[in-house]
Amino acid sequence: MLDVKHLVKSFDELDVLKDINLHVDEGEVVCIIGPSGSGKSTFLRCINRLETPSGGTILYQGRDVTSSGMDIRQLREEVGMVFQHFNLFPLKTVLENVMLAPVLTKSRSKTEARKFALELLEKVGLSDKANAMPANLSGGQQQRVAIARALAMQPKVLLFDEPTSALDPELVGEVLEVMKKLADDGMTMLVVTHEMGFARDVAHRVVFMDNGMIVEEGRPQDIFTDPKEERTRVFLNRILEN
Amino acid sequence: MFSVFLQAWSSEGEGINFMSIAFLSVLLPMLLTGLKLTLKIAVFGIIFGFLIGSVTGYILQSKLKILKFIGGVYIWIIRGTPLIVQALYTYFVIPKLLGIDMSNNTVGILVISLNSGAFIAEIVRGALQSIDPGQKEAGLSLGLTPAQTMFHVIVPPAFRNMLPALCNQFIIVVKDTALLSIINVNEITHLGQNYAALSFRTIETYTVLALFYLAIISVLIILQKNVEKRLTLGVKKCSM
Repeated sequence: MLDVKHLVKSFDELDVLKDINLHVDEGEVVCIIGPSGSGKSTFLRCINRLETPSGGTILYQGRDVTSSGMDIRQLREEVGMVFQHFNLFPLKTVLENVMLAPVLTKSRSKTEARKFALELLEKVGLSDKANAMPANLSGGQQQRVAIARALAMQPKVLLFDEPTSALDPELVGEVLEVMKKLADDGMTMLVVTHEMGFARDVAHRVVFMDNGMIVEEGRPQDIFTDPKEERTRVFLNRILEN
Repeated sequence: MFSVFLQAWSSEGEGINFMSIAFLSVLLPMLLTGLKLTLKIAVFGIIFGFLIGSVTGYILQSKLKILKFIGGVYIWIIRGTPLIVQALYTYFVIPKLLGIDMSNNTVGILVISLNSGAFIAEIVRGALQSIDPGQKEAGLSLGLTPAQTMFHVIVPPAFRNMLPALCNQFIIVVKDTALLSIINVNEITHLGQNYAALSFRTIETYTVLALFYLAIISVLIILQKNVEKRLTLGVKKCSM
């Protein structure tokens, strides 16, 4: 479904991504872990072209995302994203947040969009908050709305950029639970995360990035119990100590 | 100043007498005529100024290099010269340079629009830039076009954030029309000046004149409070 080859991204003099290669199958859940500043988020943002890659190719269903002929808007309909800071629209109600994009882009009728939005809110456990404003929700609830908003476009791939990093510890669980449900439903997911428990239990594959490169990738049980690379081992030791 | 005022109230039977209100039957209709023109220029100035300011403000925070430069020069000229000089220049110099004829009312509307446009542009630019880039990214990542993202995602909170500054600018526009008396625009201040000069009733005239402005601006302030109240219902703040 996704095929990343020799992806390079630099900001001015700084090389953030150096030759990234990754293949993701349909229905696969890939967790990307690694120290901050290793390029995980930039990598994710290159896939839906919030960043423009400096080199290499990203094939999405065989089409090159980095080519100038690519319809980026169409790509973003199919490759959704969930952000660390939720980025809900503050002046719109929860329901309006979820309905906005389907109504604007798919010329879907408001009634239809509303019905689907309410179904999605139920799926993330927030049907009772449909008419609330984002500012009146907890962080965990806001992130669940953001997931429902992304799902409203019926994406084929979902990118999660540290979805629980901005949350109070007691709110992390509710968001991970929703994500786990999505994974069980067969959604293709790329998740940048520091939640090692989630990576171990839900991911089909774990990718360890450091310094703009993929150092190691493999099945979670292999990466977590028997990492091949020294850098992976050091990182995991540091994280799992806490 | 206050003692002069009191004197005017108490001196009976003399030339200056606030208690005799006969002069008001001349002054008030005159000022009302002027008020109409003042409001006309202010309304046009606010509408055109808002349009000019919105477009320029958008350009200033965009990546359109040439337009950005032109916008920057425009704002530099407007902010760098007094409104009175702009009015004199537009009235006396520009028609000669371009070989065109403009009535002083047209010049008045033009100057007020261009002047407020520059200040509103800065307000709009600041408001658009105050919105978290994450909002734009959220809109784009959902498959909205850049234009849809601008109008449905960025503009609503930006507009809410800039409302106080914008209303303040509208108030300034109303008051700035008074400066057009320098080019003989028959707005309320100009007519008031004329009446005071002919009747010598300076205290009465300028008191009534000031009250007129106070009344208009008060209406604007009440409108502002109402709109702000409506826009903040159920929302705390717009930093997200």
